[in-house]
Amino acid sequence: MDLTLLPQALVSGVLASGLYALVAVGLALAIGVIGIVNFAHGEFFMIGAFLAYQLFVSFGFDPLLSILFVAPVLFVIGAALYASTIRFVLKAPELNQMLLTFGIGIILQNLALMVWGGDPRSIGGVPYRAIGIQLGDVSVGLVPLGSFAISVLLVGGLYLMLARTPVGRAMRAVAQNRIGAGLVGLEVNRVYLVAFGLSALLAGIGGVMIAVIQSPTPTVGLAYTLKAFAIVVLAGLGNIRGIVTAAIVVALAESLVATLVPNGDALRNAVFFALILGTLVYRSWRKT
Amino acid sequence: MKKLLAVLLAAVVGLGLAQEQVTIGILSPLTGGAAGTGLAQRAGFELALAEINAAGGVLGQPLRIIIEDDRADPATSVAAFEKLMTEDGVEFIAGGFASGATLALVESFRTFQPIVSWIGGASSGIGNDDFEGIEELLGEEEWFFHVHPWDYQNVEATFGFIEDLGVGSVALLHEDGAFGTPGAAGLEAGVEQMGIPVVLREAFTSTLTGGTGDFRATLSKVGAANPDMLYWIGYDSDAQPLSSQLKELGVAPAYVFGAPPGWPTGIEAAPEMECVMGLIGYLPNLPNPEAVAFANAYREMHGAYPDNYMAALAYAQLWSYADAINAAGTTDQAAVIEKLQTMTFRSPMGDWSFKPSVIAKHQGFGSDMWLVFQFQNGVREIVWPADRATAPLAACR
Repeated sequence: MDLTLLPQALVSGVLASGLYALVAVGLALAIGVIGIVNFAHGEFFMIGAFLAYQLFVSFGFDPLLSILFVAPVLFVIGAALYASTIRFVLKAPELNQMLLTFGIGIILQNLALMVWGGDPRSIGGVPYRAIGIQLGDVSVGLVPLGSFAISVLLVGGLYLMLARTPVGRAMRAVAQNRIGAGLVGLEVNRVYLVAFGLSALLAGIGGVMIAVIQSPTPTVGLAYTLKAFAIVVLAGLGNIRGIVTAAIVVALAESLVATLVPNGDALRNAVFFALILGTLVYRSWRKT
Repeated sequence: MKKLLAVLLAAVVGLGLAQEQVTIGILSPLTGGAAGTGLAQRAGFELALAEINAAGGVLGQPLRIIIEDDRADPATSVAAFEKLMTEDGVEFIAGGFASGATLALVESFRTFQPIVSWIGGASSGIGNDDFEGIEELLGEEEWFFHVHPWDYQNVEATFGFIEDLGVGSVALLHEDGAFGTPGAAGLEAGVEQMGIPVVLREAFTSTLTGGTGDFRATLSKVGAANPDMLYWIGYDSDAQPLSSQLKELGVAPAYVFGAPPGWPTGIEAAPEMECVMGLIGYLPNLPNPEAVAFANAYREMHGAYPDNYMAALAYAQLWSYADAINAAGTTDQAAVIEKLQTMTFRSPMGDWSFKPSVIAKHQGFGSDMWLVFQFQNGVREIVWPADRATAPLAACR
C-alpha cells in the first residue's frame, strides 16, 4: 500500500463524483417523480456521447460546445419516448414498466449499432483532453475538473429548479402524491413529460463528457447506469437530495480501493456492489 | 421415341455435370461487445465475395455466403452453427472470433465435421495445464484449419520486439478477464526469462466489461514504479483513456505499448496517442502490392480504409476457400482439404499457406504476420520488423 498516492486518489475520487452525480440525478428524477425505474437511462447517455462524436466528425464542433445542441435533442427524445410509450404503462405492474424500458434500451442500442457500428469511436483532436495541472504531487486533469464543474452547475441548477420554480414545485407535488396533485389542478402527465425529458437531458450531457473521456460504443452507457443505480440505492429510492453525497461516497470508495489495494481497479465494481449490499442490509436492520 | 430418350439422357447427364452453387456459412459477432470485429470481418468477406464472383465465382457459379451473428456468445454460436448445418446445409464454415464461443462449438464441430476454416479462437491451451485450448482440442482434426496466429505466436512476436528494443524494466497492466489475465501471465514469465524485471503488474476493469474508463489510480502506480516500458493488454475502448490519462498525470515511460484486439476509429488524430505502439496484423501502408490493392478496393466498397486487421484476415480466408475449391474442381471434402493443405494463397499480408504448428495440422498465419506500429503525427507507421518498417521507432521521452 503506497500512501504517497493517497492525495491523488482523493482528488481523482472527488472529481469523478461529479459525473456520477449527474447521471444518477437523472435516474433519480425518473424514479422519484414518475415512479418508473428506467433501464434505458444508459442509452440516453450513449446517444449523447454519439451525438457529440457526430457533431465533431461532421462539423468539427468541440464536444463542450455540442452540449448546447445535445441537451435540447435529448430532452425532446426523452419527452417523445414518455409520450409514446412510458405514459401507457404508469398504472401497469412494475415488471411491465421495467420490461418496457429494458426493451427501449435494447432498441436504442441496436439503432446506434446500425448508425455508428460496433467499433469504439474516438473524438480525435481534443486539445485539452490530456492536460493536467500539477499541484505538487497531485495532477488535476482539465477534463475531470471541467466535467466536475459542469456537473456541479447542472445538479445545483436542478436542485434550485425543484426548490424555487413553479415547474420544480409541481414535480415535487406529483412525486409526493400524484392523485392529490391532479386534484388541485396540476397536469400530472405534462409534469411527468418534463421530468422524463429532463432526466434524458442530464444523461445526454453526461454522455457528451464521456465522449471526451473515452471512445463511445453502443454499450458505453452500461457502466454508468450501474453506478447510477448504486448511487440511487445509497441515497434512497427517489431521494434526489441525497444523490450528491452518495455519488461522493461511491467515487471516493472506488478511487481509494483502486489506488491503495493491489489490483484494486479490478475491484471497482465489487466496491459499489458491496456498498449497495451494505446499505440494503443496514436499512433492513434499522427497520426491525 | 429414340429422340425423346436421347434428350432425357442428355438432360440427366447435364444435370449431373452442372455444379451446384457453393455456399459458405460464416459465424461472426455482428452485434454485442465484439461487434466491431465482426463488422470488420463482414466488410472483408463482402469485398472478397464481390471479387471472387467478378472473377467467375466458384465452380462456374457465383459463390454464396450466409453470415450468422454469433454475438461472440457461446450459446448463440452453437445455435447459429447448427442452423447453418441443418437448415442451410452448408459444407464449409468460415469466420469465427471469440475463444470462449469457439470452445463451446468444439462438440458441434465434431458432430457435423464440415470443413472449418476459423479466424479467431487464438487460445491454444499450450503451456496451460488447467485449461484445454482450441489447438489442443481441434488441432489434429483433418477438417479444421486455423487462420489467425495462436496466442503463443502472438507472444513470440511481442518478445522478439521487446528483446530488440532492449528495455530496462516493464510495467504490465491488463484487463481482468479471460483475455488479459492469461496473456499478462505469459508475458510476465517471458519478459522475466529475458532478464527484464517486471516492476508492476496490475489488473484493471476494462471499459468493455463495465469499467468507467478512469484509470488514474492504476496509472499513478505506474508513475511510482517508473518503468522504461508500459505494456497494457485491454480492449479497443481502453486505448484512449489510458493514453490521455497517462499524459494528464505526467507519467512518461520511454515506451508505451498497447495490445488491444483493435483500435478505435479516428484515434490516430488524438494528440495523446503520439508515440504509443501496438501490434497489428495488417496496415494499409504495408509495403506489398496486395496490401495496397486490398486497401484501395476496400475503400471503394466501404468508403474508408480498413482499420481492423480482421477485415484482411476474413478477405484472405474467403479467397483461400474459393481458390481451393476451384483447384479441386469439386466440393468433395477430401479433395478440398487436400488443396487447402497444399496450396499457397495470396493475401494483403503477403503469401500464406496452412502449415503444422505445435499441435495443429493446419495453421495459417504465424508470428511473422505481426507488425509493430507507432502513432507518429497522426499516422500508424510500421516500426518493426526492420524489413517492413515505414519509419524509425521514436522514444516517448
